[in-house]
Amino acid sequence: MLIQPSINILVVENDITILQRCRELLLDEGHNVRTAECIEEALDIIQKHPGDVDIMLLSLELPGWAHMTLIETLQKARREILIMTMSANCGEEAIEAMHAGAYDCIRKTFTADRFRIKINRAIEAFRLRRQLDLLTRQRQAEFTRVRQDANLYAILQSFSDALVVTDWQTNIVLFNPAAASLFDLTEETALAHPVSVSIKSDELLSFFIRAIKSDSSLAMLMADEEPVVKVGNKNLRVYVFSVKNEGGTVIGAVALFHDVTKVSAMDKLRDDFLSMVSHELKAPLSSLLMQISVILDGLAGDLSPKQTDLLGKAKEKTKGMITLVNDILDYRRIQEGKSIQKIESLDLAKILQRTVELMRLSAEEKGIKMTCEIAEGLPSFNGDRGGLEVIFVNLISNAIKYTQQGGHVNVSLNKAGKDIRFKVVDTGIGIPPEDIDRVFEKFYRIKTDETRSISGSGLGLSIVKGIVEAHNSTIFMESPPGQGTTFIVSLPVEE
Amino acid sequence: MKKVLLVDDDVDFCEATKLLLDSKGYDVVLAHDGKAGLEKVRAEKPDLVILDVMMPEMNGYDVCVVLKADADLKKIPVVLLTAVDQAFFKTTYTRAMGLMTEADDYIAKPVEPGELVKRVEDLLSKK
Repeated sequence: MLIQPSINILVVENDITILQRCRELLLDEGHNVRTAECIEEALDIIQKHPGDVDIMLLSLELPGWAHMTLIETLQKARREILIMTMSANCGEEAIEAMHAGAYDCIRKTFTADRFRIKINRAIEAFRLRRQLDLLTRQRQAEFTRVRQDANLYAILQSFSDALVVTDWQTNIVLFNPAAASLFDLTEETALAHPVSVSIKSDELLSFFIRAIKSDSSLAMLMADEEPVVKVGNKNLRVYVFSVKNEGGTVIGAVALFHDVTKVSAMDKLRDDFLSMVSHELKAPLSSLLMQISVILDGLAGDLSPKQTDLLGKAKEKTKGMITLVNDILDYRRIQEGKSIQKIESLDLAKILQRTVELMRLSAEEKGIKMTCEIAEGLPSFNGDRGGLEVIFVNLISNAIKYTQQGGHVNVSLNKAGKDIRFKVVDTGIGIPPEDIDRVFEKFYRIKTDETRSISGSGLGLSIVKGIVEAHNSTIFMESPPGQGTTFIVSLPVEE
Repeated sequence: MKKVLLVDDDVDFCEATKLLLDSKGYDVVLAHDGKAGLEKVRAEKPDLVILDVMMPEMNGYDVCVVLKADADLKKIPVVLLTAVDQAFFKTTYTRAMGLMTEADDYIAKPVEPGELVKRVEDLLSKK
């Protein structure tokens, strides 16, 4: 059993009651305690007794001091001192202090137990940090030897992915050549310095901080899809892991950067290809649609009823193809987060009115009654015009598609609380309860006798959902058996 | 009778669309590439130009730029008509966005005949 040397704690607090209470609790625990009622006094103690302050318990409510600057300066000058903060409610200022380098924050309304737990954790961290510093120093001293005999090191050196290891304060302790060339790191400028000095990306820095500060397990951290970060002209997929000691305490972070620039370039190529193909498909389809339409309208001579019937079906199939091509493109766009092209102030009533006018024809052709109720004086909505049109068109055309002759589709737009609510109610064949959870999945289509003759890509609703989510909006549906289907989209209006 | 110039390299599309617009009482003139289209605008002085984007010789955007820079011709409403997807070559699209403000309307191909007629009517009544 190791005998731990006693810990020297400096309490800085201008509220005498709290100061005394801290002092008593710490003395009870067997620690050496010094107190200061103002920061000048504290700095004086630190100066006069170097090495006699291990942990500093600092009130964040001392008058007349910029605490963050103070913490940062202290951390730079006397890195070995672990700073714990105390504040009334451990709010924003406590988080800021932690960003500046403080280890944790204690609420001033502490109980004796809570105080002891927090202090003991800080002591544990202080000891680990001291150990880590020791190890880092040893490592630097033995650098040459380590380089020769450590197989692990050789492996890291030959790793094609960039690798950066930091301690719990995000100071770099190790990096490999791939990282050196990627971020321009040198031993002199990077080693033992914070990551932020060498890697000028707040996004990257936030990953390190998250890995270190969060107590979450590795699995939790990676549950977010692996982020891709742009550094210079390279796209990097970033994997950050927290490093824990045997006791489970986080002592640092390892980051792995995998270059996916080429993969991204392939994605781009595929997209260009898709767009090109879509153009080559759309151009002939638009001729076909126009040709069939003018023949059906009798502009190229009279038609027999049978010819009209067959051509009508051909036109429907053509339109199905067009929808499919558009859906595939829309879907790609949403996957890439490009579903929002341009945010502008929109008059939803006008857009919906126009959509309904366009759709009314196909409802009437099918013998479906379509009604539309739009509330007066709706506020404008900030969104992407194309996206909103897609939401309206897809939900209304679905309602028409899945409603039989003689049925009814009602479309409405009104204000509900702070939202504009778009609602489509049909008297159609509905959605079987077992399928309700899956309708927003891509390529999912309900397969029953009734739906067999209805064409579609199975992408429409997943596209709608993508656009709805990109607008911070929600979509909701219900389909009680035998009572048709209702879709409701709630679009929040910004104040 | 209002005169409509349709410029599109897809001859089949032009033929069918001419039938459609003829039936609505328009005098439809056709051209099948950008340069020919521009010449027809100057010769025929149409009331409206429907302009495909992807065309040989001169593309629709360029034709639109020339038209809108011409003091005599810039009052003629221009409708851009294209199957080019918005994600298609970003630079092309960015240019298109800029020009869309210059063009008077923009129709995505394929277009429902009813929709095309309505847009044409709207633009001509605005004039």
